[in-house]
Amino acid sequence: MRRAFSIAVLAWGIFASSAVLTTLDGRRVDPLANTGAKAVVLLFTRSDCPISNRYAPEVERLYEQFAARGFVFWLVYVDRTESENNIRKHVREFGYRFGALLDRKHELVSLAKPVVTPEAAVYARGQLVYRGRIDNRYVAFGKARQAATEHDLEKVLEEVAAGRTVQPKTTRAIGCFIEDLK
Amino acid sequence: MRLRALFAIGALPALGASSPTFNRDIAPIVFSHCATCHRPGEAAPFSLLTYADAQKRATQIAALTSSRFMPPWLPEPGKGDFANERRLSASQIRTIRQWAAQGAPEGNPADLPPQPKFVEGWQLGAPDMIVTLDKPYTLAASGSDVFRNFVFRPAVNATRYVRAVEVRPGNKKIVHHANVLIDRSGSSRLRDGQDGAPGFDGMDVKIETQTFDPDSHFLFWKPGTSYSEEPKDMAWRLDPGTDLVLNMHLQPSGKAESLQPSIGLYFTDQAPTRFPMLVQLEHDGALDIPAGRVDFVVKDWLKLPVDVDLLGIYPHAHYLGKDLQGLATLPDGSTRWLIHIPDWDINWQAVYRYKKPLFLPKGTVISMRYTYDNSAQNPRNPSHPPKRVGNGDKSTDEMAHLWLQVLPRSAPDQRMILQESVMRRRLEKYPSDFLAHYSLGALLQAQSMPGEAAEYYRRALLARPGSATVHNALGATLLSGGKAKEAMAEFQQALRLEPGYSNAHYNAARVFLAEERFGDAIEHLRAVIRIDPRDVPALSDLGAAMMATGQTDESIRYLHEAVRLRPDYFNARYNLGQVLAEIGKVDEAASEFRAALKLQPEDADSREALRKIGRE
Ligand code: HEC
Repeated sequence: MRRAFSIAVLAWGIFASSAVLTTLDGRRVDPLANTGAKAVVLLFTRSDCPISNRYAPEVERLYEQFAARGFVFWLVYVDRTESENNIRKHVREFGYRFGALLDRKHELVSLAKPVVTPEAAVYARGQLVYRGRIDNRYVAFGKARQAATEHDLEKVLEEVAAGRTVQPKTTRAIGCFIEDLK
Repeated sequence: MRLRALFAIGALPALGASSPTFNRDIAPIVFSHCATCHRPGEAAPFSLLTYADAQKRATQIAALTSSRFMPPWLPEPGKGDFANERRLSASQIRTIRQWAAQGAPEGNPADLPPQPKFVEGWQLGAPDMIVTLDKPYTLAASGSDVFRNFVFRPAVNATRYVRAVEVRPGNKKIVHHANVLIDRSGSSRLRDGQDGAPGFDGMDVKIETQTFDPDSHFLFWKPGTSYSEEPKDMAWRLDPGTDLVLNMHLQPSGKAESLQPSIGLYFTDQAPTRFPMLVQLEHDGALDIPAGRVDFVVKDWLKLPVDVDLLGIYPHAHYLGKDLQGLATLPDGSTRWLIHIPDWDINWQAVYRYKKPLFLPKGTVISMRYTYDNSAQNPRNPSHPPKRVGNGDKSTDEMAHLWLQVLPRSAPDQRMILQESVMRRRLEKYPSDFLAHYSLGALLQAQSMPGEAAEYYRRALLARPGSATVHNALGATLLSGGKAKEAMAEFQQALRLEPGYSNAHYNAARVFLAEERFGDAIEHLRAVIRIDPRDVPALSDLGAAMMATGQTDESIRYLHEAVRLRPDYFNARYNLGQVLAEIGKVDEAASEFRAALKLQPEDADSREALRKIGRE
């Protein structure tokens, strides 16, 4: 009866509109443009959210595992005003080794609609196939498992990697509300 | 919901229909209830000191205060009246929620109260002594929580009295709580660094001591509370050689973190005159929780043999603990809550001190009732799928402890009576327990009941046959009961088990001295001095034995050393007087006998000795 997470089916056929953002190293990119990647993984984050930070090693692990298999990863910083120096320091301290986007105008936030940081959005062939938690380690604020038992994001990436048709879905993530940065 | 909020506002005429603002309504709450932790350098992940700080997290703040995750406070209100209670009232929470829902407005700058002032650095001023971990400890970026114990050796060369302890964790963001334990046995330092990193693992540290020196104080650090300060007359004793063990609960942050904690000690010249004691209710032995059980109950109780004041309380369980209760049943049958934590969370475990000491008369039964959830529905369950759980100090094991700091009401020191009740209760729970038998033996020995004491020691030996400590204690008891020969057999057994056991050497020497077998006595006393050249009773006895065998020069040398180390040690003074008189140094001898008489004015031997050398 009890479900660990809720599943909602996303509308099919909605292709991601494009959004051009500035990367931390000053380039302008459209992360969702068709570059032939198997999928694009957006990880919404902010530097002052402890839950987000605790996920850094797990996110790195997924990057290691899937980057070589044709997946593109982006960190998406959602704070509108935090200085680039601060963000750069954060990326360095937590050892992220993939690109970071500054979503100052919440363009990606409006597209993918994450609720909190950390939250993931996965686009496969231009389509949002997953949005939600990385895994089920956190049950509520201040209530966490010692280790996750459901690796939702990893499962989706495996399915995409295997070339299966993925039922789009969302899960509820626990973390810091993005709404506060509106 | 909306309707109720409107009613609440309507009921406050001064506010009229205006909605809450940061400056007028939120800042006072945040400054008094959050800023102790939410400011630079403290445990919380960000500051809550300005409008910008709060506005950026308004929804988060509303959600976490509504769920009562913030500010952290576990005890149920109305069950125990605790100092520094951090709970928000229902109306404060409502105000925060309303403020966030209405877009978190800033309001009129004139309404903003002044920012709270905080002391920087050591909260009690510069400590008298600071001990710091030699090398930093590194916590990995990820993984489950770590429980680590760091050993500190404060270099005091005489006994000091400690009136306050402040812990500086070194990296507050990863420390959930920390506990300072006093190790007078030296057992923790043997475990220190064995795995290549500073300290040793374990959620709970067991320290066995050989003397009656029960734990007395809670020395605790938690976010927002860095020090423990004792009333002037309740300081605790720090002897040379005593170690402090800092037991820390660490949580990985997402990046590798370095930690180098310090402990600040504040001394007083005033020796304590009131002696609190930590009494532990526990029933770890009953912890055998089947996988899947949602409501496994563990209980314990103790009937208080003396009047006490209850000063503080510290509940402790690991990740399966769910509902933790402490209760007192007074002699008239009425009951009183000591504490109730309905949703236990080890991350916020803490010592709670009562606002006013709670009087518990003799005959009160204090009790605990803990409920554990070992099902998969308990997200904190460290085992997936759940497995059968017993007691232990790993995070996958469980514990059932309720510590109470009590202060016996009347003088003289009644801790021994209390300890005897604790140990007799322990025997009921664990009929063949080593610790209970050994402790009862020691307590009866201290009350000059050698026959009964020997009985308990013998049963302690059944529980732990190879214990040199118990063989030695049994020997001492037999000796005080006049059974020198049996006593000697015990001392020799202790020495076979532990050849470097100083106290057993000393005890064996005492038997030989009484039998005037000076050569054998000297051999054992030299062994004591080899282990500790500053052992004054051994130096004094060695001097006496040397004198008896005519080795006068050496005798004088040892006795002088004893007197130098401890001018107030009667035996050394008296013995030195005797040797000096024997070799005709009458003036010097007389001054030693007089010093001895100053220490023990009624001593007939010293008087007689003075008379003999004509210096009455
Ligand atoms: C006793 C110290 C303490 C007090 C008092 C305290 N906090 Fe916290 N707070 C913390 C700590 C430590 C954390 C980090 C918890 C974690 O990492 O799981 C935290 C986390 C938070 C977070 C979540 C951070 C995130 O992940 O987004 C919020 C919001 C918060 N506190 C708000 C408050 C508010 C509002 C108050 C006062 C009403 C308050 N806190 C009082 C120590 C405290």
